[in-house]
Amino acid sequence: MFFIVTAFHAEAKPIIEYFGLKKVMKPCRFQVFVGESVALVESGLGIVASAAATSFLLTEFEAGAKDAVLNIGICGAKDSSFKKGDIILCHKIINHDTKRTFYPDIIVEHKMKEAVLETFSFPVNKEEYPCSIEGDVVDMEGAGFFETASFFLPPHKIHCLKVVYDHLDSEKVEPALVSELIRGKLPLIEQLMSSISSMNARVSEDLIEKESELLGIVSQNLKLSFTMTQQLKHLVRYYLARHRKLPEALRDFANVKVSSKNEGKVYFERIKEILRR
Amino acid sequence: MKELKKFSAVRSFSHIYVEEEVKDHPLTLEILSKFPKAVKIQINHYKEVFCRPKQNFAVQEMSKKLILAAKKGRVIYSGPEVCQDFGNKNFYYTSPALNCIYSCDYCYLKGMYPSANLVIFVNIEDYFKEVENLLKQRPVYLSLSYDTDLLAMERIVPLVSRWIAYVRGKEDLTIEIRTKSANYSALSHLPPAGNVILAWTLSPSEVIERYERKTPPLELRLENIKRAIDDGWKVRLCFDPVLYFENWHLFYDNLITRTFSVVSPEKINDASIGVFRIPRDYLKRMRKTFPFSEIIYYPYVEKDGIYTYPEKIKEEIIGYVHLLLRRYLPPEKIFII
Repeated sequence: MFFIVTAFHAEAKPIIEYFGLKKVMKPCRFQVFVGESVALVESGLGIVASAAATSFLLTEFEAGAKDAVLNIGICGAKDSSFKKGDIILCHKIINHDTKRTFYPDIIVEHKMKEAVLETFSFPVNKEEYPCSIEGDVVDMEGAGFFETASFFLPPHKIHCLKVVYDHLDSEKVEPALVSELIRGKLPLIEQLMSSISSMNARVSEDLIEKESELLGIVSQNLKLSFTMTQQLKHLVRYYLARHRKLPEALRDFANVKVSSKNEGKVYFERIKEILRR
Repeated sequence: MKELKKFSAVRSFSHIYVEEEVKDHPLTLEILSKFPKAVKIQINHYKEVFCRPKQNFAVQEMSKKLILAAKKGRVIYSGPEVCQDFGNKNFYYTSPALNCIYSCDYCYLKGMYPSANLVIFVNIEDYFKEVENLLKQRPVYLSLSYDTDLLAMERIVPLVSRWIAYVRGKEDLTIEIRTKSANYSALSHLPPAGNVILAWTLSPSEVIERYERKTPPLELRLENIKRAIDDGWKVRLCFDPVLYFENWHLFYDNLITRTFSVVSPEKINDASIGVFRIPRDYLKRMRKTFPFSEIIYYPYVEKDGIYTYPEKIKEEIIGYVHLLLRRYLPPEKIFII
């Protein structure tokens, strides 16, 4: 599942349309839209709102090892090396207030520009803002999103994708233009999502459901202790590493039910012997 | 979302994180000049990147990043018990870099560090200062390349050459540089130094192919060893870790026979034998990250916090490999751990 956090509806709208998401009709603090493999939340403006919405979304949908989360929205660029409509994959995110920094792992190839994002708790106008701006681009949500998402997911599954809207010159935000700029970058965003999914698939997974189920039955029927069950799982992984599939003989033990732990131990020794082969 | 497409990992060292403090250090500039296309990202401290929570070592191995930093505080440590001191009283080790460009299935670094990214400490002068202080107290035997493979990285950062230049002529200091690389040519222009031991880890070709990903094949390592010996360097052979798997007898027999058909036994400084062993916590972490590995999930036994083969197997392995080595080397040149 891909989780997406946007600040405004104008940012969310093209994403909702592109992935065919449906609004979740359930009373809740945030607007949530869900599709087959994408769930989106609209956080509202600011670091805290973004953090709260990210936490809500990842908790509500029980984000796990196979999931990733993206913050998609507009930003202001400090200088003209970034043009209006450029999409940026942020490789460093700075919380301007706390000075905490966050770094996503960029593992997959992508066709976006990269830059440092600095998140402010107030709108920034380059001319009026007296201090130096450390980031290449500026927003008001990214750091809150990233810090919160880091509680749930590893750094290769958390990304801030920002589309340049202005050059910190207080240009009025036109919702229609925001949607248009983001809509134009969705094929690139989808490509990145697809690559992240493929990368996910390549990473070795632990025991699959069927194997875990079988081990659960064997462990229960043979009255194995917690430690013995862990030993069994280790031996199964050791066996799978060498033979790719479980031995047929192990399935037979699923039909055995013992009446005492001692009896279970005898069977366990036999299983260990099989799995060490 | 549309169907899954193939993905390409970004090349390793696509991103280089540089501590603000070392951004102008000559070694930093030298390293950066070798990666002109890399994205440079400024950081305050290497742990901001290296010690992030929830990093996935297996994923990061697809595209390792480089971190350039300064090591603070103590940089030289007493030699650990799980390592061979080769009869040296004052055995120390240091880590001028964290992590390795290779990816061996059995490597303890995968359980020791939270990240697969490579950290290079460029403040080599601080390492030298600490060695100077130690030398004022006692002679020093120092292993440089435990938590990395420095020689494999010599073309990225010439740390081995710098260390060799530093130790040359210092009679009370001996250094060991352990490697699996075939990168001797990066040193071959240097005159040999009597207090530098180049230590090659050797494994059967079957082990290299199956478990030592990205490392050079046996023949290349042997060729490098031969060249180093011919040039007058002291060379150590490390049969460590010896792994236990089907037909291991045969493969280690072939390895040692082949090794001494290329290298003259009398020109070898010494050799070591060690079976696979790993601290409990490291193995636990490796098992979480790499769920299906024959090496990681072998049913080892634990003794004093270290996992290794059951005593009977361990004795059999050491006894057999020792016997093989004794055909070529006198007992005083063989060290067992």
